[in-house]
Amino acid sequence: MMIALLVAVSMLTFGAMSLLGDPLFNILGPVAGDTENPENLAKINAAKEQYYLDKPLPERYVRWAGDFLTGDFGVQFSTDGQPPVANLIKERLPRTLRLMVMAQILAVAIAIPWGVLAASRANKPSDRISTFTAFLFVSLPNFALAVILFYVFALKLDWLPDTYNATDPFFGFTHKHRFTQLLLPAFTLALPTASVYQRLLRTDLITTLQEDFILMARAKGESRRKVLYGHALRPSLFSVVTIFGINAGALIGGALVVEIYFRIPGVGTAIVEAVLREDFPVVLALVMIIATGFVVLNFLVDILYTFIDPRVRR
Amino acid sequence: MTDTLKPTDVEILDASDQVPADSIAKKKLGIGFWLAISWLVFIVGLAVFAPVLPLKDPDQNFIQTEEKENAITGRVTESPIQPPYAPSGDHLFGTDSDARDVLSRTIYGARVSLVVGFAAIAFGMLIGGSLGMIAGFFGGTFDKVVSFLFLVLLSFPALVLAILITTLAERSLFTISLTLGILAVAPVGRLARAATLVFAEREFVAASRTLGAKPSRILRREILPNVMIPMSALALLGMGVSIVAEGALAFLGLSVEKGSTWGKLIRTAVNSTSDLENAPWMAFTPIGALFLTVMALNFAGDRLRDYFDVKELSI
Amino acid sequence: MMLKMLTIIAAFAIFATACGGSDGGTTTEESPDTTEEAMEDTDADPEPEESSDTTEPESDAIVTEAEDDSDLEVVVGGVARIGLEAEVDGLNPTGSALSAPGMYMASQVFDNLVRADTNNQPVPFLAESFTPNDDFTSWEMKLREGITFHDGTPLNSEAIRANFEVVIADPLVGLAVAPFFPPVDEGALEIVDDLTVRYNLVDSNANFPTSFYGQLGMVASPTWLAAAAEDPTLNQAPVGTGPFVFESRSEDSVTRFVRNDNWWNGSANLDAIEFVPVTDPDVRSNLLLEGELNMLQTTNAASIEILAEDESIQNILDDTGEESFAMLNTSQPPFDDIRARQALTWATPRDNYNTLIGLGIQRPADQMFTPDSPYYNPDVVQEADDPDRAVEMAAEYCGAVPDSCTDGKINMELQWSGPSVVQTRIAELLDEGWSVAFNVEFQEVPQDQHIQETAFGLYNAVTWRQFGAINPGDDWVWLLCRTAGGISLNWPQVCDEERDELLLAAQATTDEAERAAIFQELVAKINQDYTYVFFFHTLWDIALAQSVKGVCNDVAPDGTTVLKCNTNGRTWMAGAFLSE
Repeated sequence: MMIALLVAVSMLTFGAMSLLGDPLFNILGPVAGDTENPENLAKINAAKEQYYLDKPLPERYVRWAGDFLTGDFGVQFSTDGQPPVANLIKERLPRTLRLMVMAQILAVAIAIPWGVLAASRANKPSDRISTFTAFLFVSLPNFALAVILFYVFALKLDWLPDTYNATDPFFGFTHKHRFTQLLLPAFTLALPTASVYQRLLRTDLITTLQEDFILMARAKGESRRKVLYGHALRPSLFSVVTIFGINAGALIGGALVVEIYFRIPGVGTAIVEAVLREDFPVVLALVMIIATGFVVLNFLVDILYTFIDPRVRR
Repeated sequence: MTDTLKPTDVEILDASDQVPADSIAKKKLGIGFWLAISWLVFIVGLAVFAPVLPLKDPDQNFIQTEEKENAITGRVTESPIQPPYAPSGDHLFGTDSDARDVLSRTIYGARVSLVVGFAAIAFGMLIGGSLGMIAGFFGGTFDKVVSFLFLVLLSFPALVLAILITTLAERSLFTISLTLGILAVAPVGRLARAATLVFAEREFVAASRTLGAKPSRILRREILPNVMIPMSALALLGMGVSIVAEGALAFLGLSVEKGSTWGKLIRTAVNSTSDLENAPWMAFTPIGALFLTVMALNFAGDRLRDYFDVKELSI
Repeated sequence: MMLKMLTIIAAFAIFATACGGSDGGTTTEESPDTTEEAMEDTDADPEPEESSDTTEPESDAIVTEAEDDSDLEVVVGGVARIGLEAEVDGLNPTGSALSAPGMYMASQVFDNLVRADTNNQPVPFLAESFTPNDDFTSWEMKLREGITFHDGTPLNSEAIRANFEVVIADPLVGLAVAPFFPPVDEGALEIVDDLTVRYNLVDSNANFPTSFYGQLGMVASPTWLAAAAEDPTLNQAPVGTGPFVFESRSEDSVTRFVRNDNWWNGSANLDAIEFVPVTDPDVRSNLLLEGELNMLQTTNAASIEILAEDESIQNILDDTGEESFAMLNTSQPPFDDIRARQALTWATPRDNYNTLIGLGIQRPADQMFTPDSPYYNPDVVQEADDPDRAVEMAAEYCGAVPDSCTDGKINMELQWSGPSVVQTRIAELLDEGWSVAFNVEFQEVPQDQHIQETAFGLYNAVTWRQFGAINPGDDWVWLLCRTAGGISLNWPQVCDEERDELLLAAQATTDEAERAAIFQELVAKINQDYTYVFFFHTLWDIALAQSVKGVCNDVAPDGTTVLKCNTNGRTWMAGAFLSE
């Protein structure tokens, strides 16, 4: 099923790119349109042959798929020198992953105390405020959140450098720069995610707090804090753990916009760049990698569900 | 949540309200709902009547001048003042760096943003809704094919799919709406299918069936009205998501080529760090409009779903 | 990255600059005799001690602030980090189309055969001398002895021939070269001896050495060229004879060059230079102000305003190079008709453009020359901002050609490469004026497609930047009949024999008075064609932190002639150093 899904995704991308774009322009530049000059025509035909562009679509697809499976992602048409796509992925993927890991860590770090606090004061005014806040973050598009965070923390409060969207933070200027440059993008991704986690945690915690063993712990006179973090928290993390995987997929889309705004040269920027230049092999490879990651994650979450009997939950 | 046309987050948020104490409040739409609806009516009204409202021309460059004395010749000449101009009586929300009225551009931007949001979800409802209902009702191979199709669509990071389509086709209002409409097909379709599955089991459908009603009639007369209820909530949520998605596309420079949308206004305003720092009204007016509208749509959709108590249908 | 990929009009000039090998500046007066005198130098003076003139002599209106730092003690060592306005695709001068950032980087690794001095006179640099024949249709170029490329390959006639043949065969870069030479197999370039080659030209060109100011004058290692033809990824790792040696390059991140200890013209002071593309002009200038960058290049008017006012920054300003303009295609309707071109010119909101895009900082342009150039024609005025006349003319055109009109307005498309916020602003601004007489459709297309369609004449109107050659005669590549058709560099596809005659006559003489008269006539003619609507003279700022010294101390191999230090946004870093 998973494989059929990926095959369908790849065919769709491949078909769309092939039908609507013309990679020749990327390979040859303006020469590609000069069919009247015999020298350039020869170049065009040579390029067509080299990249199998003269072959029918299904054959090209099969060739590409075969190469892809053996780890040959082709070359970057639009980049001078046409280096292998694999180089680009090797360079970009770790950056995006680092950003996403940072975002997830921040999200969990924010969500746990926030969720515990909300659950312990369920339905009191402070809980309602926190519900509303969570709702705000979820409704706020991440590009708007990025702008707001940048405006507040970099421009107005000046806590972070306003040279943010400068350049590759992984080259960075100084070590300090490198770290701080990732903070805002990570927060932009983390805040809405944290809101989701917090709501889940709150619900599960409220249920857990009504269980007998909690009442017992309370009766033993343990401190409120110890009860919340020591006893109640762990059994309440189920939903958060499962949504963690799903959210990693959703983060990819968010990362795209955030990377563009903060100018982080990761997978997101690479894919937008490649689509704009109609750089066929790069788009294909990146879409496939993202889709694969996405599908595999969802699959793992499904397995996780069956491992932990859902009845454990309530 | 730019990439989630599957409104997972919103649903999750909602699912968390299964606290007993909330259940009474849940049966009322509440003042928040009506506030949200009022804002939506207000913004739609502004957008619709923009041409007849006393608004400034959104494209005109209102360059202001001042008299300046030339240090060398001593001649006094009218010289232009550098925009952006801060909010004033003349321009309530200031002007952008091309001396254009931000308020009027935001209202005119609403016209495109709202149309895109509405058209996209309408397309999703029409195609996804009918596919989902038919698949859910008849089952079999068709159901398998359609479900697989939905899965394929959902396997793309939504924004990537949108970028792909918009760069390959001309970026007109029509193609942008269509693109976002295609993104809406799968989530809407899955909900429609799930709802249909539930209702197809119900007594009134069974009764209809035993009375010898044709499947098409059952679909239309029995199932559709019931499926419409959860769908209406999803429509509001989906419209919010579509508007945000358009904003994200615009933010990447991939929305409509001509005419302004909220996303395009924000992109233009934040392109220059010094503009953002010195003329925040340029960015925050459209951000405010976008945010309030999306929040109103989310909130109203949410309340509606609670009201009809349809959360068991969440996928 | 990229996306905000090309913020400025510069994007549009990438192709232009590449093919033209254009440089900033205006005048060149030079006879073959002076050239030969200039060649009599021998060794380089390792430490430039002569005073350097850091102001651009010909720009009165534009003040430069770089201090006279020739008295300072030179400090050897350190790394300078330079902010560029965009990343570039490749660094091969014979194959990659080099934009301003590309020229900046390439200028450190490659030496030009000829450089301009501060009076815009050509000075043989990597070449030792030039000797023309009587009618200037053939030039002998002698190279300096004993120079090797960074990879050890010797610089000799064979190297020159290898470069020339790659350039002329390149389908794009070659477009700017091939029209001026006979075919390669008919003796475009002959080898005289190991260090001497003879160029045979189609036209009589008394100013031939000036064509080596730009990209075409850079000489790359033939060994590397051959290797790069096999493995194009090597285009990212240039090998030249210059003061710096390529060390590493990570695109969108950093490109690092280190000092060439065996440079033939002395030795650079800095241990290394690092080029960092920072596409946001505000961020770029903030990084300089915060000390993260040592210097930067920019054409952004708002940044220039801030940097020029800041006391901790030195600015080297120059606006004698390229002009920004709207360009019309005469090979298809509606702009094949001069009435439509006139209507568009008069409808253009040029004042608003100069206020909002130029911020009143860039000087408005009436023609390709600034008022301080000897070629400037004071009678040529760029018409614009006359909507009533535009409406009238559009009505007349629509009466004659109803097919190109809807509702009494002329239909047209404005194309630009994007997505780009600034270009969208420009389009909306122009449309606001043009819409009185035109139905303007917008076409934002990827850069490759944009260049493609412009070169093939598949456009109505585009915004562009061009005409930056130090010797304006070298701008003929954009104007001659022979560069129109097929892949055109004569983008508007105007073929005018009289104009050709003027251009050829200007190149055939070194008599400055004669040249001035010719160029004045030329700009009047261009003005009356209504194919370009000039907006402003592009102002380049090379901004330096206070600690960066000696950028303008670069000297010719004679050890005394100070070289021009800012042309179209690039400087040469050999003489630069970081003071305490």
